[in-house]
Amino acid sequence: MSQNAAGAVGARLSPQVDSLIRAAQRGDQDAFESLVRAYDQSVLRLAMNLLRSPEDARDVYQEAFLRVYRNLHTFRFDCSFHTWLYRIVTNICLDQLRKRKVRKEEPAVVDTSEGPMDRLDGFEEDDAEADPERTMLNRQLKERIEGALAGLTPRERMVFELRHYQGLRLRAIGEMLGTTEEAAKNCLFRATQKMRSVLGDFL
Amino acid sequence: MSCDSVLKLIPLYYYGEIPPEEEDLVESHLDECPSCAAELERHRALAAALDAQRMEIPAGLLSECRGDLRAAVEGGAPLLRREREKMSKGPWELFVEALQHTFGTVRIAQPLGAMALVAVGFFAARFTGAVPGINAPATGAPMTEDVFATVRSVQPDATGRVRIAFDETRRREISGSMQDENVRRLLLAAAHEENTAVRSESMDLLKAHSSSADVRDALLNALEHDANAGVRLKALDGLKPLAGDPQVRKALLQVLQADENPAVRMQAVDLLAASPDDSMVGVFQNVVQKEDNSAVRLKCEKALKDMNASIGIF
Repeated sequence: MSQNAAGAVGARLSPQVDSLIRAAQRGDQDAFESLVRAYDQSVLRLAMNLLRSPEDARDVYQEAFLRVYRNLHTFRFDCSFHTWLYRIVTNICLDQLRKRKVRKEEPAVVDTSEGPMDRLDGFEEDDAEADPERTMLNRQLKERIEGALAGLTPRERMVFELRHYQGLRLRAIGEMLGTTEEAAKNCLFRATQKMRSVLGDFL
Repeated sequence: MSCDSVLKLIPLYYYGEIPPEEEDLVESHLDECPSCAAELERHRALAAALDAQRMEIPAGLLSECRGDLRAAVEGGAPLLRREREKMSKGPWELFVEALQHTFGTVRIAQPLGAMALVAVGFFAARFTGAVPGINAPATGAPMTEDVFATVRSVQPDATGRVRIAFDETRRREISGSMQDENVRRLLLAAAHEENTAVRSESMDLLKAHSSSADVRDALLNALEHDANAGVRLKALDGLKPLAGDPQVRKALLQVLQADENPAVRMQAVDLLAASPDDSMVGVFQNVVQKEDNSAVRLKCEKALKDMNASIGIF
């Protein structure tokens, strides 16, 4: 297939990204770094939101972009770079989510000397809200949401994340996950139903 | 449109994922049906609650990730400086290429275990390829494209000729099982390679064989001295089965207190906590006092609590 298949179906590259990819394929390190920076925040946010752990998100980031680095020469412009990149990222994240299902990840909330504490509290901005009742409700809701998300299958979790948080169209999500738009729709429907049933009395 | 059909379409309607004609039908139903309209409101509330709980990227994480990646990529930088053909290849391919034809054409029979293709790269050397017009070196070995040369000195003489001293590195390839001594020896050497990708791949292959003393030493060495956090994490992974070994524990305690990377420190806590002993209490208490990273701190606190040890130092 021609390297210049710019007219290929699904190719939606901006000329700037296109030239960065070509330069990176020729070995230009600066171009590779610029390409990474164009996408890495959304990749890290995706991993962080899906895995809810900074250390796991960091692993995903490193593995994903190293795979990009190693395989960029195989990118033939027959789909958008975003889709190609997200195929890599979603595969790595799905593997992680599946591993967790097997070995039952440690809970998000741990007991400490000062009572239960969220493992991730230290990473979040301080809550300026001082109202204890509201803080407690927020905490309960947060725990309930963590539970609702944990109750989804890795695939449902992924489709929901990509649609709700990343704002991607179901057609693009199907393409990334190697499935159809219809299957992605069904997945999204199941995910929302499950969450509704867990969060019911909070809504 | 019936209530049942509308209820099924509400999530897709909310996300704008139904065709316009269907959207019109849903909207006219919602205008007339308070119970379905209430359902849409509940869906909106769900979406808002989920939005509010969205995870933020912790401060500094993005730059740490970028730093890790740069270090990993820069380790393999020479591959990006040379010919275009080389440039299109990843570190692993170059790694595999780097020792082509090693050990003559020896092929070791495939044993029951998985075969590992192993090669060691010498990327520090400069690729010269064939140098036309230069006499073969004294060894008589012809210069081929498989030879890398590093020029050590250049001396002109009175007659206008030039005397050049250079080191040669030849590409070879060896294919064999992890049980093979030659393969193992090369892998251990690869653990010291300048190229980060080579070290990282070597760790991947070595880590399944930590029961052997030389592999254990290589993993410990990488854990304590490798400049790349990804390689150190892989070494940690390989040391997991040896978490009870006193020498490994000593290294883990050292890493927990001195490693600059929180993911490495976090993993060290996990390994130590997997087989708790009294000697680690003091170090953990110290970490709880001094550690900047809250996740590492919390892990230490939890480990201390699990051991019924006090968290503070009194």
